[in-house]
Amino acid sequence: MEGCSEPRLDAKSEVTNQLVDFQWKLGMAVSSDSCRSLKYPYVAVLLKVADHSGQVKNKSFEMTIPQFQNFYRQFKEIAAVIETV
Amino acid sequence: MAGGLGGLQGLGGVLNGLAQEAFYGHQGITEELLRSQLYPEVSLEEFRPFLAKMRGILKSIASADMDFNQLEAFLTAQTKKQGGISSDQATVISKFWKSHKIKIRESLVNQSRWDSGLRGLSWRVDGKSQSRHSAQIHTPVAIMELEIGKSGQESEFLCLEFDEVKVNQLLKKLSEVEESISTLMQPA
Repeated sequence: MEGCSEPRLDAKSEVTNQLVDFQWKLGMAVSSDSCRSLKYPYVAVLLKVADHSGQVKNKSFEMTIPQFQNFYRQFKEIAAVIETV
Repeated sequence: MAGGLGGLQGLGGVLNGLAQEAFYGHQGITEELLRSQLYPEVSLEEFRPFLAKMRGILKSIASADMDFNQLEAFLTAQTKKQGGISSDQATVISKFWKSHKIKIRESLVNQSRWDSGLRGLSWRVDGKSQSRHSAQIHTPVAIMELEIGKSGQESEFLCLEFDEVKVNQLLKKLSEVEESISTLMQPA
């Protein structure tokens, strides 16, 4: 059928997921056993994602502040592009 | 202090070896390896306490993430201690910390991150797509791939699909994060 195909993913994972929920927390690591003076802020993220079958999984990860800002900037670009398409 | 251990060139190598093992995760840098490479004329019995002393000093400096004032005060105190270090050795240690401080700190920060980190991010926007699960066509879709992984482990790739509504919903949340960060970073 003309024009009917799943978006061809050159992505490394083969399935796309829907984002069901996005939770975040801004933390500050103060101290650890190897470094008493850590003092670094980070953004922790918990994603709830659903695959095609509807099964929901949690994925969590951390970003440094510069990483988060890059993530945010890229997402703003996505928003700008998707608006014009 | 034994004549051999007073040599300063070996000290630079010792500090490097200690940093590799303590901060950069290189296994296998043994006392014997350092001794035989850097102070071959010194016995292991003599070398061991010297190495322990340098290790202790380096760890104290790194743990406190000392700035240069703190470093100077700390090293001066070490030179005045019984069984401490010479002022030449203090100079070598100071120089080492100044050139390695940032990298060591980064390594310590990474050591304390036990959750997965974001290693990479790529995306594209598809103009027209038809999903076999819905009759919608001509709906722009953003596809984002996140590369996530824990230290020393292989990456996991997570592929997410967003329509325009979802993009804007997430954008709003991200702006809330950004606002929180600005509040945190404001000078007290």
